[in-house]
Amino acid sequence: MVLQIKNISKNFGGISALTDVSFNINEGEIFGLIGPNGAGKTTMFNVITNVFGPTSGDILFAGETITGKKPHKITELGICRTFQNIKLFPQMTVLDNVMVGGHCRSSSGVFRSVFRTKFQKDEEKQLRQRALELLELVDLVDIMDAISENLSYGQQRRLEIARALASDPKLLLLDEPAAGMNETETESLFGLIKKVQAKGITVLIIEHDMPLVMKLCDRIVVLNFGKKLAEGTPEEIQNNQEVIEAYLGSEEDEHSA
Amino acid sequence: MLGEFINPYYLQVASFILINIILGLSIYVTLSSGQLSLGSAGFMGIGAYTSALLTINFDLPIIAGIIAGALVAGILGILIGIPSLRLQGVYLAIATLGFGEVIRVFFVNWESVTKGAVGISNIPHIGREIFRMLRDSGFDPGVLGLKNNQFVFLTVFILLLIVNIFVVWFLIRQNKSRVGRAFASIKMDEKAAEAMGINITYYKVLAFTQGAVLSGFAGALYAHVMAYISPADFAYHRAVEILIFAVFGGSEVIWGAIFGAAFMTTMPEVLRFISEYRYMIYGLVLIVMMAFRPQGIIDAQVLDWFKKRKLPKRRVDHGSSNQKHL
Repeated sequence: MVLQIKNISKNFGGISALTDVSFNINEGEIFGLIGPNGAGKTTMFNVITNVFGPTSGDILFAGETITGKKPHKITELGICRTFQNIKLFPQMTVLDNVMVGGHCRSSSGVFRSVFRTKFQKDEEKQLRQRALELLELVDLVDIMDAISENLSYGQQRRLEIARALASDPKLLLLDEPAAGMNETETESLFGLIKKVQAKGITVLIIEHDMPLVMKLCDRIVVLNFGKKLAEGTPEEIQNNQEVIEAYLGSEEDEHSA
Repeated sequence: MLGEFINPYYLQVASFILINIILGLSIYVTLSSGQLSLGSAGFMGIGAYTSALLTINFDLPIIAGIIAGALVAGILGILIGIPSLRLQGVYLAIATLGFGEVIRVFFVNWESVTKGAVGISNIPHIGREIFRMLRDSGFDPGVLGLKNNQFVFLTVFILLLIVNIFVVWFLIRQNKSRVGRAFASIKMDEKAAEAMGINITYYKVLAFTQGAVLSGFAGALYAHVMAYISPADFAYHRAVEILIFAVFGGSEVIWGAIFGAAFMTTMPEVLRFISEYRYMIYGLVLIVMMAFRPQGIIDAQVLDWFKKRKLPKRRVDHGSSNQKHL
């Protein structure tokens, strides 16, 4: 198991965003995290990457507890994420953005940087090479010198994925990667995520685009009001009565409305 | 013949410009990681007093004093930087401004060592020391057609120029490296930088400390160029003055701080008749700049424009490949 989520709860003041959520992600799978708005999906991402810690519960990555570790340590261990509201480095070039992603896989400090030692030059060359490969993968290599804030929405989303991949993650967390994409873009995103999986990277994805989720994911967990509602293969989820109610509202709701 | 061209007064102004450039860069480097520190005057004072006291009381060579001054400022920078990291934006600015005042008051009150508000005089002058050394080994500036004091000021200027070139070279190289990218990413989006595996605590303290070292270094140089320092030299006015260098010249690029320091040091000399209104003009400059050009006179676009003019051919290739896709 790559990631074990054990009884995670998260309270913000009196509001519980997550209540006793547990699930396991196996190596190499694409795992979907879905649920209506406000179900606690992004909160789960923030807890995994320790933007804030859980109120209770534990998270194990490759058998090691990562709860309470600093975010940059978690990235170093091999979990990297994208953000729901894109968080690129807006005034940097496309290439530099991806090279920043490789930060934790390189080590040149001030001295080596200033005196441009052989070690630093080689490392810089490697970082650049790796960044170019990733830009090739997400089809942005033609515009590597552009300033990232000038990119289209879909391009920015793909750049974020490339930047996250530059940290050589074992587990990639994607927060609504298809949001705001048109059908063609979503189609190429599907291909991209499949390619990422083929590289042996496990993917945990939050997404609202149901056709994409059903087509892409090996297994899915559904959250509703911070609780785990269901877990299973896309087929099982599609036929789960509770899930359908959560998304479409139950018949009782309609009567009372 | 050389002597006719060298005016000690101009050399003195040029030397102040060079010291101020280092101070401007101290703000720039801290700011390049997204932190606004107004403690430069305080760190400058630390460097100046450390070096002055060591060279006077312990007969240390000037170079050792200057290095010690920069180091002490740097160590204090680490100590101040770590707790200050919890503060962001304007709160950090206020805290560091407070730190500067504490340092000044400390110099005023620790009279047994710092001679209080009177200040320290007879600090070994870097130019004169070098001149004395050379003279003892049988050198006569007359060979170059220079008077003694012309030679002294020329030495100071050349020395500072070398130091400046080194500092600028250092910062440019650092900028174009993994460290520079880490600074820039923290400035642009701290949360994203952290998520990309950047140890933001380390890099923020690093940037803050580098700023402190540069300020302390400039302060120590200042002490040995002026040969006299007093707490008033490192007061609130100085902090504002240093801030103006970066704000006016441009806080996003190295050349901004350099231009700002050069321009703002030259102006009061050129416009002697209004130099009484200096601080009033500084205030006005701050307001006008914030309203119309918050990034300062020189920013990345201005630099691009210069580069394009110099290399028209490259511009065509570069520009077209960019615009096609945007």
